Amino acid sequence: MNLATKKMNRELVHTPDGVRDIYGRECSDRSTVKHRIKEIMKRFGYSNITTPTFEFFEVFAKEISQENSKDLYKFFDNDGSTIVLRPDFTPSVARCIAKYFMENDDSVRICYSGNTFTNNHRLQGKMSEHTQLGAELMCDGSVYADAEIIAMMIQSLEETGLKDFQVTIGEADYYRGICEEAKIDEATEIELRDAISGKNYFAAEKILIDAGVEDKYINILLNSPDFAKANELDNALINVNNKRSSSAIAHLKSLYQKLKIYGVEKYISFDLSMLSPLNYYTGVMFRAYTYGVGDAIATGGRYDTLLSKFGKDAPAIGFMVDLEYLMKALYSQKINIPFAEGHQTLYFTDDNYEEILQKARKLRNAGYYVALEKISES
Amino acid sequence: MRYLTFALGKGRLVNQTMELLDKCGITCNEVTDKNTRKLIFTNEELKLKFFLAKGPDVPTYVEYGAADIGIVGEDTILEEQRNVYEVLDLGFGKCRMCVAGPKSAKELLDHHEMIRVASKYPNIAKDYFYNKKNQTVDIIKLNGSVELGPIVGLSDVIVDIVETGSTLKANGLEVLEEICPLSARVIVNQVSMQIETDRIRKLIKAMKENLD
Repeated sequence: MNLATKKMNRELVHTPDGVRDIYGRECSDRSTVKHRIKEIMKRFGYSNITTPTFEFFEVFAKEISQENSKDLYKFFDNDGSTIVLRPDFTPSVARCIAKYFMENDDSVRICYSGNTFTNNHRLQGKMSEHTQLGAELMCDGSVYADAEIIAMMIQSLEETGLKDFQVTIGEADYYRGICEEAKIDEATEIELRDAISGKNYFAAEKILIDAGVEDKYINILLNSPDFAKANELDNALINVNNKRSSSAIAHLKSLYQKLKIYGVEKYISFDLSMLSPLNYYTGVMFRAYTYGVGDAIATGGRYDTLLSKFGKDAPAIGFMVDLEYLMKALYSQKINIPFAEGHQTLYFTDDNYEEILQKARKLRNAGYYVALEKISES
Repeated sequence: MRYLTFALGKGRLVNQTMELLDKCGITCNEVTDKNTRKLIFTNEELKLKFFLAKGPDVPTYVEYGAADIGIVGEDTILEEQRNVYEVLDLGFGKCRMCVAGPKSAKELLDHHEMIRVASKYPNIAKDYFYNKKNQTVDIIKLNGSVELGPIVGLSDVIVDIVETGSTLKANGLEVLEEICPLSARVIVNQVSMQIETDRIRKLIKAMKENLD
């Protein structure tokens, strides 16, 4: 190889910003963790689904996906339709279920794993390609379904060896009920949503005062309990007089009851100021946090209006684990991930090739991992 | 107990911040010591750590959890747009984000003409002109002495922090439009807030009570 081609080939080894190679021990660790989570989902009776890596833009449009449409990888197909690399599995799975189970009203349990793509520009050090594992329970709107999904998420995380984590649960209806009762208009509500979910209470206060909202409601909204324990939930209803909010709290209490039966209550706290992007989650929503990573390692919630966007009127709830963040947490907490025994190597020469090959075949048939390599002459 | 780490924006905010923390019973005198070469300062008794960072980097440290709590100007928070909780307005370090330029540029702003804007804060400038004023502008990122822009003819106006306006005045410039008021803020990492809720809330409460 001459010097010029050598230099050119060197330039080819880089990957673009936001994607990377995963190999060796890390790759093996990831598949171990993935396998464990999938095993838990299987034990809950969830079956695998594969949806395409890219879909029509409309599937991930503003009303459906949580992602900002500016951050999607878009391109055109032969017909000139806009195609998007999936930024998130939930809309794809919902589309698929709406299509194949249109006449079915029994509950559907589905799990998936794969890579998602969002265009993270601005050099913020975030990867564009993430591996997600998730599960969706569709056509069941009960509190039992909520509990099943949250408990399954907790058990999946436990199964990876993670011990120190917190699951925070919120209820979209609590806040909506209060906004309705206080007669806050939609524009103000959207502005307020940003401030409150960012825990930016002084900005929220300013918005509320400017909008001329009654003091009583300003107090309720600014003091809505964040990070509360289950027995503090009733405090959220002091001075609140609407059905939507009170049934949201009643629902959370009943959910906590069920989670206690699962034996996972030690991980649970409640955050009533947790809000979702507009109209995405319709009931409970939850996030799992742990040390060593700056973002939630798993998130989920109930989205009862999503399937109807694909023509099927049915409730649904789901969660997903972000493998990128989870692995970061496992490594930074130095959690031991069992490393599957590697392969053995048998060496041959030109003379004993047949003999060694037979040996290797025997071992392989018996289930051993065997590599064959020629002893180098020098 | 885990250490809670504070990231403080270098510069004028540091002394006021440490004074406030002092009032809350949190002392770490080394932080304000100009002669030290240390990068990280510790208060062993309360299990707190402090470090100084360049302002725009503070939200980054906090977002990634390298620091649990950050204290930094609102201008930086708006510009960096990081995922952090913004929990307290400290009220000091007050100033304004403004569009400034020579008096003659006023007309260009009023008539939505295509103009050139120089700024250290391209995101804030873009948001203001595109989303609030719906004016098409050409934004040029500068890294300091932004006032030079209109003087040497690089840009028509600038978007920058104005505290007293004396630098502007000395250079024949004036405030043409005000974008928003600014002050120092406390920001918190989202995960730390969930996991160290009690300690962080206590700290914030103490700071809030000791604000004048």
